[in-house]
Amino acid sequence: MAIIGGTETTGRKVRWALLDVVVVVYALVPVLWIVSLSFKTTDTLTDGNFIPRKWTLDNYRTIFTTTEFVRALGNSIGIALISTAIAVVLGTMAAYAIARLDFPGKRALIGVSLLIAMFPQVSLVSPLFETERTLGLFNTWPGLILPYITFALPLSIYTLSAFFREIPWELEKAAKMDGATPGQAFRRVIAPLAAPGVFTTAILVFIFCWNDFVFAISLTSTSASRTVPAALSFFTGSSQFEDPAGSISAAAVVITVPIIVFVLFFQRRIVAGLTSGAVKG
Amino acid sequence: MRGAHPGVVPGRRGRSRRYRAAAALGAAFLAAPMVAACGSGGGGGTTINVYYGPEENFQNVVEACNAKAAGRYRIVYNTLPREADGQREQMVRRLAAGDPGMDVLGLDVTWTPEFAEAGWIEEWAGQNRADVESGTLPGPLKTATYHGKLYAAPKNTNVQLLWYRDDLVPNPPQTWDEMLSMAEQLKQQGKPNEVLVTGAQYEGLVATYNTLVASSGGHIISDDGTRAVMDAGAVHALDELRKLATSPVADPSLSNDKEDSIRHTMEDGRAAFELNWPFVYASMRKDRPELAAHFKWAPYPGTLPGMPGKAAIGGFNLAVSTYSRHKPEAFEAAKCLRSAESQKYSAINSGVPPTIEAVYADPDMTQKYPMKDAILQELTDPAVRPITPAYQNASTVISTVLSPPSGIDPQRTADRLRKELQDALDSKGVLP
Amino acid sequence: MSEQLATAVASTATTTKAPEKGKAVLSEGKRAERRLGWLLCAPAAIVMLAVTGYPIVYSFWLSLQRFDLRFPARREFIGLDNYVTVLTSGYWWTAFGVTAVITVISVAIELVLGMILALIMHRALVGRGLVRTVSLIPYGIVTVVAAFSWRYAWTPKTGYLADLVSPGGAPLTERLPSLAIIILAEVWKTTPFMALLLMAGLALVPDDLLKAAAMDGASAWQRFVKVTLPVMKPAILVALLFRTLDAFRVFDNIFILTNGAQQTSSVSIQAYDNLIKGLNLGIGSTMSILIFLTVAVIAFLFVKGFGTAAPGSDQGGRR
Repeated sequence: MAIIGGTETTGRKVRWALLDVVVVVYALVPVLWIVSLSFKTTDTLTDGNFIPRKWTLDNYRTIFTTTEFVRALGNSIGIALISTAIAVVLGTMAAYAIARLDFPGKRALIGVSLLIAMFPQVSLVSPLFETERTLGLFNTWPGLILPYITFALPLSIYTLSAFFREIPWELEKAAKMDGATPGQAFRRVIAPLAAPGVFTTAILVFIFCWNDFVFAISLTSTSASRTVPAALSFFTGSSQFEDPAGSISAAAVVITVPIIVFVLFFQRRIVAGLTSGAVKG
Repeated sequence: MRGAHPGVVPGRRGRSRRYRAAAALGAAFLAAPMVAACGSGGGGGTTINVYYGPEENFQNVVEACNAKAAGRYRIVYNTLPREADGQREQMVRRLAAGDPGMDVLGLDVTWTPEFAEAGWIEEWAGQNRADVESGTLPGPLKTATYHGKLYAAPKNTNVQLLWYRDDLVPNPPQTWDEMLSMAEQLKQQGKPNEVLVTGAQYEGLVATYNTLVASSGGHIISDDGTRAVMDAGAVHALDELRKLATSPVADPSLSNDKEDSIRHTMEDGRAAFELNWPFVYASMRKDRPELAAHFKWAPYPGTLPGMPGKAAIGGFNLAVSTYSRHKPEAFEAAKCLRSAESQKYSAINSGVPPTIEAVYADPDMTQKYPMKDAILQELTDPAVRPITPAYQNASTVISTVLSPPSGIDPQRTADRLRKELQDALDSKGVLP
Repeated sequence: MSEQLATAVASTATTTKAPEKGKAVLSEGKRAERRLGWLLCAPAAIVMLAVTGYPIVYSFWLSLQRFDLRFPARREFIGLDNYVTVLTSGYWWTAFGVTAVITVISVAIELVLGMILALIMHRALVGRGLVRTVSLIPYGIVTVVAAFSWRYAWTPKTGYLADLVSPGGAPLTERLPSLAIIILAEVWKTTPFMALLLMAGLALVPDDLLKAAAMDGASAWQRFVKVTLPVMKPAILVALLFRTLDAFRVFDNIFILTNGAQQTSSVSIQAYDNLIKGLNLGIGSTMSILIFLTVAVIAFLFVKGFGTAAPGSDQGGRR
């Protein structure tokens, strides 16, 4: 960059700014469209205008008075939080061991996680459907939490072990010198240092669970455990001839809010998490 | 968990405790089966959960029955998705899991054998059977019967009629070909001319095809439901369908047309003929009163000269789930929901045709349900869709093979259908 | 096969601790370390194996049976009959073809767009944070939400795109336009993820090398092809592997956009339909197994054929 002169820089900046605009438009248009739909009135819903001509909050009022949606939202939040908590705890333990300890079977664990990361979820639908049906786990929170944890584990193990490698481990040694067992060293010294990494991983895992559709639609049957993505596809509208597009859009916007919040506040962390767990050439 | 959705549904407390237990035990051996919306009802009595597709004003019928039950039980109407496939998918999945949260099921007339064969619904025997059979039209009753046993109570029937504009054609066509040539004439005169049928890849297309086959005196599947037949009549019906689809008077979006979209097209004034269920009448009167004056009905056109059409029976039957914990109340509730009084209310207010013959004779019906005679006439000699537990598979195969209708090559399509239907009947084929 | 994959991955992973290897006698401390390692990994390993390993074996067992939940009485062991049925079914191969087409086209487009986006994110003089932030939105958004947005956008009258691009038509009711929209939805959603993976690779391209190449008179394009790409190769292959496997599982977008109508079913959709709509556990499980095998083959080809190093495998170099 030192090669480039000052006047050229302005021109370059303008060009970069234009590219930025392209990216912003690319990323936001579909999101803004669903937001727009969610604010349209019933009679303007099908006018095809990108910006609503008449604004209304009715769609939001409707969904928040529908038990179907409110319960789905509760399910989504509860299931995603519980799965995230468990996956991150188990993942932290395993990642610590992988990053710091030497023990036989480590290769196998890394291999298995990798395999699961590539596993086609739909292949599990039929055996899980049948197993959960017999065990009475079908259409329950645990019935979804179990597969979510499973598929979130590889993600959290990889991301966390990458973070753990950045931690100054001399501190751990120092703690051990002072007589702490490896377990104590883990809990008292390393865990606080690892917190940012754990937090980032939690966000990624939460997004994953929040996003799932295959399991949500296959392993649930009622609002007792159906999450929002699955519930969306079952919205009926209040009467036979009413198109539920407005309610669907409003519900879609509601479940997009947490994602937007994460992205706005934790952009750096998410980028770091996604890239560190992946490749470093 | 409890904090996640505070106090939405009564009786959830107990359930969430149960979830927690299940969570704690991990794969607990046979955790208590999960209850759906089975909270304690109004006054602590029994709740009867009815699962049925959306029907305008059905809530009023439910409330009338609740008033009659006088607190012994309370019926809760749970609305299933709009489309039949979606309704079935939801119920079937829960029944497969042995869910006790459903008591009364609103079954499309084609599902009785499947649900009965799988052991998901209770037989109606003894007094219950006698109550249902007395006064009920034989066609609808046949759709609720499987292997000689009654498995459901016909709630409402349905037949498609030919709807036409008498300002365009003074006399309705008698046959399919006549209808097409009338429409083509209208097109030449620059008048509204489209012929509307449910041609999308779904059950509606299968119903249309069934009607055409029955009208041509053919068979898709043998009467005992075990063999794919596809005889000459079935081939003729394919040809009729193709003729419409490739005709200039077909709706350009035929391969995407469902009941509701063709209703809209007719109300927009673009079409001359519409083959659809009677609900379109009330809707036309409400949405386009000026057009409604010329909106007339006639029996379904035939496909062979001199032979009247035989329309496929639609409608819903009420069944009691095997997994219901309140079967006696469920039977009673179902009987109330399909009583003559309830049926009359639904016919007049929601436009769904009754299954009890006496209701048609009610003086109130004449004025508010003027097409009742045409319906009754069709119901005397209807086409019943194939009675087989594999109906869903067969239907999926038929709608897939017939889509888009303009691609039909009668003999070739028939051969393909025969082969794939046989696999579907043996439940060994792959669903498309 | 899976073992080989695991070894390929792990053989490099263990270099992390290479210097400590080879001690003949385990000290007390070593043994404690071992125990702790196992203890810490056990819960994760058990959950992962219980929820994937056991079901896949069970799935294989189910696939050998005639087992339709609607005909409980007709359940029987039929060997490989289900495999014959599925593999001779035109519907299966249509779905397979559709899945392959969607996978190949969308991953190819994503690679190009993702590379461009990665370069923007990496090099932008202005608004780098902004670009990174907004590109995370497609990555994070619930796929079903995005799919609904596309569906409504392409619905005649309702949508802003339908009448613009094909006035009078209904793109989602025709096969090719439907496939194009499914691919569009996939590309939109996952390009940012691809870009992030590639960006990680870009960060490793030494600036000195690029400068040296520039001094030698190499054009920007030449520098990209001759310097950047070779250095990035491992990153690109890993990104491709992950996206290919992910794209092959395509389900959400199709479910919402067409639900498999007009022959747009992917193998995942078809397996779901046979299982959940048809309640045919035998056929459904057979498809599950076939999908699993296909994914394994793809992964194997990447690892053996292109020498893709799986993520995590290069960790030794980073210490």
